[in-house]
Amino acid sequence: MTFFDLVLRNLWSKKARSIGLAFAVAIAVMAVVTLEVTSSSLEQSAAAIISVGKADFTVAQKGAADTLASTIDVDELARLRHTPGVASAVGVLVETQRINAENPVFIEIGINPSDLRAFGVKIVAGHHYSATAEHEVMLGWTAAANLGLHVGDRFNANGTWNTVTGIYSTGNAFGDAGAMFPLPAIQGYNRVPGIVTLAFVKVTKAASITAVAARVDYDQPELTTIRTAAQFGRADQDLVYLQAAVNGSTVLAILIGAVIIGNTMLLSLFERTREFGLLRAVGWTRRRTLGLLLGESLLLALVGATLGVALSFAIAVVLENLPALKGILHPNFTEGAFWRALFTALVMTLIGSLYPTIRAALLSPLRALSYE
Amino acid sequence: MSERMAHQFAIEVKDVSRVYPGPVPALAAFDLSVEYGEMVAITGPSGCGKSTLLHLLAAIDTPTSGSVIVGGRDLASIRDLSAYRRHDVGLVFQFHNLLPQLPALSNVALPMFGTHRSARQRKARARELLAEVNLGDCEDRLPTELSGGERQRVAIARSLANEPKILLADEPTGSLDSASSTRLLELFERLTNGGTTIVMVTHDSDVAAHAHRVIEMRDGRVIVGASTRL
Ligand SMILES: Nc1ncnc2c1ncn2[C@@H]1O[C@H](COP(=O)(O)OP(=O)(O)O)[C@@H](O)[C@H]1O
Ligand SMILES: [Mg+2]
Repeated sequence: MTFFDLVLRNLWSKKARSIGLAFAVAIAVMAVVTLEVTSSSLEQSAAAIISVGKADFTVAQKGAADTLASTIDVDELARLRHTPGVASAVGVLVETQRINAENPVFIEIGINPSDLRAFGVKIVAGHHYSATAEHEVMLGWTAAANLGLHVGDRFNANGTWNTVTGIYSTGNAFGDAGAMFPLPAIQGYNRVPGIVTLAFVKVTKAASITAVAARVDYDQPELTTIRTAAQFGRADQDLVYLQAAVNGSTVLAILIGAVIIGNTMLLSLFERTREFGLLRAVGWTRRRTLGLLLGESLLLALVGATLGVALSFAIAVVLENLPALKGILHPNFTEGAFWRALFTALVMTLIGSLYPTIRAALLSPLRALSYE
Repeated sequence: MSERMAHQFAIEVKDVSRVYPGPVPALAAFDLSVEYGEMVAITGPSGCGKSTLLHLLAAIDTPTSGSVIVGGRDLASIRDLSAYRRHDVGLVFQFHNLLPQLPALSNVALPMFGTHRSARQRKARARELLAEVNLGDCEDRLPTELSGGERQRVAIARSLANEPKILLADEPTGSLDSASSTRLLELFERLTNGGTTIVMVTHDSDVAAHAHRVIEMRDGRVIVGASTRL
């Protein structure tokens, strides 16, 4: 005869209503979580690009629509290198290319062989390409394994065949799944001579990373420095918009869910009000009576959230295997997605049951008992 | 001594009126004193204010004027009325006594939430009470699976959950057969012998005859039996 027994009984006695409410919560949670994990997938891929090289901080063009659209020219890179406290600044061109159905967004990095060490690249087989070679390539070790290629094999990219001179490892999963080309070659393919996408900066031993980054931000206002994933929006407006859309959708889902729940709750207001009157008449405090209603809401929210996350998992599997999205979308079920699910479910049920709850709390026992 | 004199009644209703919107007050200049261990029957035509009186005594309604004093305490001065309702009085309503979604046993256990009793003790006590009203085998039945008389007995069992000093019952025998009525009156007698004070509303003069005193009401006032024990 516990309080929880009463909560369960109350929900169980109105099975259809409870199931309906849990589903309303679940659908909203599913929508929110699916959006979150797919956007988080894109965010993760994008964030992986800035950390593809070893650096104290990464520099990109300020306000670029997305990271890969960032451009830094030779002069800017030179100024960066001459900023006090900067030990090295490796400029790389990053692009993605469709190789085949399994690799629709294969990452390609243009980098000078002299910068490989500073960039954190280890050559695990063969040797690096020469600085000005036009048909040479190094493959990341996971890319080589996936494509079944070895040193000496030929790899078709950028419309030509390239000889694999070496296999490298960066310790970054994103980078290891791609390929590296001589910088001038890839600038040529893309018709952007002298342009790089990102610069990976290391500071001197004596300098403070924060201070040097601040100095760069000040000296070259057209550029921006990125040290953490949270600062990522500086270089990727798309992600900022995407996150705003996800947040907006969460609010919308919460509101729609709350309306559905509130509507259902209102239908049972009459019987419930009498019930609360009776509980108060037999000595239940206002708090305990509210607790019963909140307990029911909470349980509904938890069940709905669980169901919603499960649905979202199912949808993610479907999306991931959709031909159009295969290889692009890797739904990323982060801890944040689960918190968002819980938050959505709780706020929705709380808003939805607000009116009946407040009513129940305010009515005197007798008024509630004779409520028609 | 004078202090004790002031507290000798279990219930004192002093010059109470309860006015609802409408032409006639439900209670008007109402006076009543009930002694400890006394069983009082209240009779009178429908609408004369009997239920209103019980609701005031149960502290689920408040008087428009006058004072209701129970066990020497003016209800208007009690901060925690929930505790009063839970521990000091047991109330059996005329209608709509039970929560429809809960089985008999849970309905009986309701007033014991928020007391010192554990879940297990609540259950044991609720069982004991159902047995007391001869419903030992109806524990798991929902109110819809009980007859009117059985429902009323569940409500009586619930009203006794926390061993109240005052029992207020609105037509408790209204839908009981004569055998059940007799058993209920025996139970009431045992309770009064143990010191419980009972105020019972009834239409049945045979039932009223079992009370120590019968009070007849009309239009919110006492006509017969206000303060003398027969
Ligand atoms: N909540 C209420 N609102 C308005 N009038 C009420 C209310 N409760 C009782 N009354 C009126 O007060 C009078 C006494 O009612 P009640 O105490 O229920 O009578 P009884 O129980 O003797 O039949 C009746 O006229 C009734 O209509
Ligand atoms: Mg009545």
